[in-house]
Amino acid sequence: MKKFTKGLITASIGASLFLAGCGAGDNAEDGKVQLELFSNKSESVETYKGLIQKFEDENPNIDIQLEAPPEAETVLKTRLTKDDLPDIMSIGGNATYGELARAGVFYDFTGSELVDKVQPSYVDMLGKLVGPDQEGIYGLPYATNANAVIYNKDKVADLGIEIPTNWNEFVTALETAKEAGEIPIYFTLQEAWTAMPSWNGVAGNLAPDDFAERKNEGEATFVEEYDEIAEKMLTLVEYGHDNNFGIGYGDGNAAFANGNGVFYIQGNWAIPEILKANPDVQLGTFALPSNDNSEENDLVSGVDVALAVSETTKHKEEALKFIEFLINEETANTYIEEQKAFSAVQGVFQEDPIFEGIRVNFEEGSLTSFVDHYYPAGMGAENLVQDFLIKKNKEDFLNTMDSEWNKVINR
Amino acid sequence: MVKRQYAYLFMVIPALVLFFTFHTYPALQGIFYSFTDYKGYGTWDFVGFKNYLNVFLDTRALSAYGFTFQFAIVATILVNIISLFIAIGLNSNIKFRKTLRAVYFLPYILSVLIVGYIFKFIFTHIIPGIGQALNIEFLSTNILGNPDLAWVAIVILAVWQSVAFNTLLYLAGLSTIDQEVYEAADIDGAGAWAKFWRITFPLVAPFFTINMVVAMKNFLMAFDQIVALTGGGPGQATESISLLIYRGGFQGGEFAYQSANAVIYFIVIVVISIIQLRVLERREVK
Repeated sequence: MKKFTKGLITASIGASLFLAGCGAGDNAEDGKVQLELFSNKSESVETYKGLIQKFEDENPNIDIQLEAPPEAETVLKTRLTKDDLPDIMSIGGNATYGELARAGVFYDFTGSELVDKVQPSYVDMLGKLVGPDQEGIYGLPYATNANAVIYNKDKVADLGIEIPTNWNEFVTALETAKEAGEIPIYFTLQEAWTAMPSWNGVAGNLAPDDFAERKNEGEATFVEEYDEIAEKMLTLVEYGHDNNFGIGYGDGNAAFANGNGVFYIQGNWAIPEILKANPDVQLGTFALPSNDNSEENDLVSGVDVALAVSETTKHKEEALKFIEFLINEETANTYIEEQKAFSAVQGVFQEDPIFEGIRVNFEEGSLTSFVDHYYPAGMGAENLVQDFLIKKNKEDFLNTMDSEWNKVINR
Repeated sequence: MVKRQYAYLFMVIPALVLFFTFHTYPALQGIFYSFTDYKGYGTWDFVGFKNYLNVFLDTRALSAYGFTFQFAIVATILVNIISLFIAIGLNSNIKFRKTLRAVYFLPYILSVLIVGYIFKFIFTHIIPGIGQALNIEFLSTNILGNPDLAWVAIVILAVWQSVAFNTLLYLAGLSTIDQEVYEAADIDGAGAWAKFWRITFPLVAPFFTINMVVAMKNFLMAFDQIVALTGGGPGQATESISLLIYRGGFQGGEFAYQSANAVIYFIVIVVISIIQLRVLERREVK
């Protein structure tokens, strides 16, 4: 029996050594510092690779590994449960960011001169996601996005459509396209999240700004305040195609690039993908005018990429050096040019003519934030919205949104 | 004699240690956290049975149970019927028997995700294309976008892939049947159908039992097929329990709550497996 115990101990020590071996491996053998850059965007992989190459040439002692897995946010949270956070994270400014920042796993940039190089309004936007209970700047806004209506310039010109500035004009434009036998809006609703650009666009100009706050305190309901939004969503989906729920994002980008559909409600992140499918397509953009009053139609914009550094990384200095490199005006320019994004870095502007229609929004600051970034992540709003667009039952849907929200925050 | 015992222990212990470290210990941790409000990180408190009560009140969880059972039962039945017949075919004296066996086993080797994306392409582009060309209404749109039919697509993928492994088990079962029994049946003038019902099926019964239990358990835990094809959509129509636990637990920051869901689900699967074994073993030929 004694021998048996000994054997057991030997085996378990062996196993734990083996496990410890898996955890190590931070330093490469040649003395280089290895950093992991985690990105949630598959679209920016090539751009990041180019930037990393440039950085590594300037800093030969640092080696940066880019990691951009599918379902990145889930992967990140899974890694958080294992206490295995990447050194540098380039992630979206959404509910997940807020949650991670609240968990206290990000480096606090307060007092750093890097903060002065980015636009304060987006720093505030990130701060709002973290909530009032936690002071500090846990991420730097890097690239910002625009949730807009992308349109096919040639088709709009052929149909004689004026760029709409309010809801009635937009519906008239959709009607014109429909009568001409075109697909007014190309939807890609096979993937639930693609319902959200429309949802955010419509709700951004119609839902009260403090809705989420009041909802959490039990003072607001979807039934009372989202009725018009739901109604307008149903109007939009009327102007889709026969196979709204059978086409996904990738196929939709290719279809729109090749002349299917006049309007495409998506973020600016879709533009490089559309151009990849057909470099010759002429595109334009405008803010989704969901409000009946032209004056009150703002562009939905948020922090597309926030840069964060792990609080526990062993190579904070090197990680911050890379952040500094990214925030540099020249690098920031390269990034937004390749990504067709907008920069949060002061003095860096997107000059691409595709964005002429929404440039004024950036210049005047007529921007509003993504409403769903303030919804609790656990409620899975995108699937509920997708389901609503299929079943078209407004009362049921709004009640479900209320009950799911309450259920999640009461757990 | 004593020495031999050590040799056996030495064979078993590494596996035991690995199993405990990577399976039992995390499972116990999960059970522990299901009584807390742990988010997957940060601080936590004990909340007693609150999470368990909430699972029973959660309509999203209940509809996931509904979908999972519907899917698992249909898929299990189809897989067992199809694989038993393929096995009988492959066991008979046909040309290219070995090659065919290899071909039929191929789906099992492929990754579910890759197969899933190929099937997604077929459902999105090829089938609607055929439907439109032949003017067949229900084929002309992508069934993955239809909340009432999306589950059928998942069943098709799951069955296509699982038939391979179950066929293999049935083939093993068929090879245990003594050929003399069939010769005797031939002399008695039994037809093919009678031979199947009276001889083959009763004699492979133990394999039938194990196949039913294994297939049912696998389908109840369906995950990658669904991720590849629909991601749980449209709406929440094809959200299986495993997917819900993963999504809610890791994306939604509800680690503790979904742990409770997982514990309940574990109990459900164990109970179903035991019932299946009891019922099916009773009708096996002893």
